[in-house]
Amino acid sequence: MSVLQVLVADDEPVSRTVVGAMLKKAGYAVTYAPDGEQAWAQLNGDDPPAIALLDWEMPGLAGPEVIARIRAHASPTPTYVILLTSRDSSADIVAGLKAGADDYVTKPANEDELVARVNVGARVVELQGALADRVHNLEEALANVRALQTLLPMCAYCKAIRNDQNYWEKVETYFHDHSGVSFSHSYCPNCYERFVKPQLDALEDVSDATRKPNRP
Amino acid sequence: MSEPVLDEAVIDSLRQLTPPGEPDVLAEVLQLFLKDVPRRIAKLRAAWSNGDAAEVHKVAHSLKGSAGNVGAKALHAACRQLDEHGRVGDLSGTGPLVESVDREFARVEAEIRRLLG
Repeated sequence: MSVLQVLVADDEPVSRTVVGAMLKKAGYAVTYAPDGEQAWAQLNGDDPPAIALLDWEMPGLAGPEVIARIRAHASPTPTYVILLTSRDSSADIVAGLKAGADDYVTKPANEDELVARVNVGARVVELQGALADRVHNLEEALANVRALQTLLPMCAYCKAIRNDQNYWEKVETYFHDHSGVSFSHSYCPNCYERFVKPQLDALEDVSDATRKPNRP
Repeated sequence: MSEPVLDEAVIDSLRQLTPPGEPDVLAEVLQLFLKDVPRRIAKLRAAWSNGDAAEVHKVAHSLKGSAGNVGAKALHAACRQLDEHGRVGDLSGTGPLVESVDREFARVEAEIRRLLG
């Protein structure tokens, strides 16, 4: 399992450093942002952190505003957001969760509690990732099924199929390309009687004819 | 016996944050505190002199966070009261609180220098 990346966004350097050290000790890769704008830049950039700890009060963009931006961007694997704040009244907790936070930790953070909550976030992130992969695979499978459900033009004589590029290809090739099905070639009992047996008989006649002169 | 300037339990937990072979987290945090906090106390004083309650609330709030993180209880308490006064927009009678922020920081600074050796 790869190391999960966690963003710690707080304008207060002492708190940022302490929280970061707690997470590093717990085995997470930590990145930092000193304000909301830089936090958003990381979350909206390439390879964004899976989990974000955002301070409620930051200059520029405050925590809830960063959350609003994150939630405005639909993603199959949304960032797990924990608001960090010294506000601890239940009205503030409700406001933070309504703003779109997944969880809430009061400052100064208790190490065990903080790490336990981030671990919950990591579990959610992994589940979402597995789910997103599964949905992707199912969508691909569905697309293949759809491709086979369409009306296929087939030659009435040689059974070749006209593909999307207007090119006639063998049934085997067409199905292999569109479904991953492979064919192994054999013959049914009817065709054995109709085609294979006469050929074998003919072959036997030929070999009898060629052997005859050698017989004493 | 008076209460210790820095909560020993907090200092101990900071000490234990250092992973093997890494730079000392406690020293890093304490040095950061000494570098960052005086600047913000000056801002607090300026905001208070200007009667800017919103700014007092903002700066005292962040100072409260820093103080809490190193277990500076008395400094934390003074900042918390200023934070609250600023939040409700009433700075009257808060002069002694600003004085106590200065005084408590001086004690914390001395204790940190002793810890850093």
